[in-house]
Amino acid sequence: MTYNDRIFGILMIVLAVAYGWGTTQFPEPFGGSEAVGPDTFPRLLAIVLGLSSLYMVVRPDPDNAWPWSRTGIELIIAVVVLVLYAMFLQPLGFIISTTLAVGTLCWRMGSRPVKAYIIGAISGVVVYLVFNFALDLALPLGVLSFLEVG
Amino acid sequence: METLGYLMDGFGVALQPHNLMFALIGAFLGTLIGALPGLGPANGVAILIPLAFTLGLAPETALIMLTSVYAGAMYGGRISSILLNIPGDEPAMMTCLDGYPMAQQGKASEALAISAVASFMGSLIATIGLILLAPLLADFALTFGPAEYFALFLLAFATLGGITGKNPMKTVVAAAIGLMIATVGIDSTGVQRFTFGTLELYEGVDFIIAIVGLFAISELLFFIEEKAGGGKEKMVVNKLSLKWKDIREILPTSFRGGVLGFVAGVLPGAGASLGSFISYTLEKRVLGKKGYFGKGDPRGVAAPEAGNNGASSGALVPMLTLGVPGSGTTAVLLALLISLNITPGPLMFTQNADIVWGVIAALLIGNFLLLILNIPLVGIFVKLLSVPPMYLLPIVTMIAFVGIYSISNTIFDLYFMVAFGVGGYFLRKLEIPLVPIILGLLLGPEMEKNLRHAMDISDGDWTILWNSGLAIGLWVFAGLGLILPYIVGPILRRRMRATPDSGSPESD
Repeated sequence: MTYNDRIFGILMIVLAVAYGWGTTQFPEPFGGSEAVGPDTFPRLLAIVLGLSSLYMVVRPDPDNAWPWSRTGIELIIAVVVLVLYAMFLQPLGFIISTTLAVGTLCWRMGSRPVKAYIIGAISGVVVYLVFNFALDLALPLGVLSFLEVG
Repeated sequence: METLGYLMDGFGVALQPHNLMFALIGAFLGTLIGALPGLGPANGVAILIPLAFTLGLAPETALIMLTSVYAGAMYGGRISSILLNIPGDEPAMMTCLDGYPMAQQGKASEALAISAVASFMGSLIATIGLILLAPLLADFALTFGPAEYFALFLLAFATLGGITGKNPMKTVVAAAIGLMIATVGIDSTGVQRFTFGTLELYEGVDFIIAIVGLFAISELLFFIEEKAGGGKEKMVVNKLSLKWKDIREILPTSFRGGVLGFVAGVLPGAGASLGSFISYTLEKRVLGKKGYFGKGDPRGVAAPEAGNNGASSGALVPMLTLGVPGSGTTAVLLALLISLNITPGPLMFTQNADIVWGVIAALLIGNFLLLILNIPLVGIFVKLLSVPPMYLLPIVTMIAFVGIYSISNTIFDLYFMVAFGVGGYFLRKLEIPLVPIILGLLLGPEMEKNLRHAMDISDGDWTILWNSGLAIGLWVFAGLGLILPYIVGPILRRRMRATPDSGSPESD
């Protein structure tokens, strides 16, 4: 089956057209137009991307299998964990959010849950200490801020 | 003899105690990165860049540390080739051929020691080559005008896939995507492009975020998909019994391998994989029946390792002199230079002579450090090989998060990095190479600037882009870089595949 490259190629052609149209919306640069304005280079790129994507549609490579079912869900879980990690890094503080994020990832990758969260906690504390004291770079403490010394 | 004077100054920089210390740390970390599963050299260097910034290192120190990491990663890649028959990175593929049989015969530590010596020889020869060639090339590059630079950048993209590359059109797609991302932000005339009114995009997309996301996060996702969290069984290596005679035997091989590798590294489109392949095949041809290649011949370990390390130092030549990297890892080093506000290219040799020569001297010193580090400490690196990825990769991801967060202390960058990671996963699934995207991000602004300058000179006449003999030559080579893979690629790939089964998804 050769759907992947075709679909991606079509998406990229759409991107090339949208991007190319975007270049027509730039305001005129101050001082009048020159030989090469802000839109010249992007327009070249839109043409190159359009043509090369067209080639992908016409001459696609064989597909790699997508991970449907269980593995696909695991992947989505991992991405969600990463997004939540970013979201809670400041409110929860570095140590707690790292424990949860690294722990969950280790667990989902096959570790026993208890061991996973212990590894998460240790790595969080170690990196926090290294950054705060050795590198002199403050990471957020969040809900643990009562521990702050001085 | 001018070069020698510069080199001496370079040693003056590199031998300062703190620079020496960071070179040692870099060499150690690099070998670690090369040895650990799932951490390629490009990936490893990328994650360390933000950390080098947060440490507030001086430009030359940061660069010295990361070049040591780069050199170390090439050393580390061989460990899993020899012990597990799994190449740590693509160039280490050929090392499996004789390294693994040696390990099976209970000569694992000899194989590791021999490969360390060969790696050292290869890097040493190539670094000497770099010292001789780089200033000449830099002088030559001073004659380039904007039109020639524009053509040179095209050449860099066209040859990035290498002549063994699979589908050059995908390289073009990737390069175009990377260049498009580079156009986001306020351009040199003050016009906003594709910012959609988002404040965070005014300054464009930070390429370090893109690199770390594309490499580190997508690697995590790939490991989850392949359920490769379990790791490998513990390895035990025998006690080393290496005689001087064994080393003497591989010296000529290492020398030839190093020279060939250097040439392959300097030339656009060849790269480290081809360097180690050519060295191995040539050695097999030269020694013919006298060797027992494929069955654990030490020279079969030495040749590709010398070639591979020679090529990785050789790849620094175009990166330093022209500002045009030829591989993923050198592209990441270029990212470091640009973020340190150093413009790579011929002018760097005059404007930042202390940095350039400091780095070159550091490469020489780093090679000695690596040799010293690698023979006695190989036991530690072997142990690291059995660290299960299910613990390693989440921690690496966390360090990437901390690194990116520490650059700007904003959460927006983290979301952006995750988005790049997911994008990188899809692109890798589609076998669209990631390195051209990164190169596009890095070279985009320079490329556009040179196009503008060329056009200003010619008053809008496009023919200036192919008006000089040099420019035409570059265009022709760029064209060949895209066409040759279709003709020569299948043949070469078949030969390289003939014995080892598969390479890793990440290129050098």
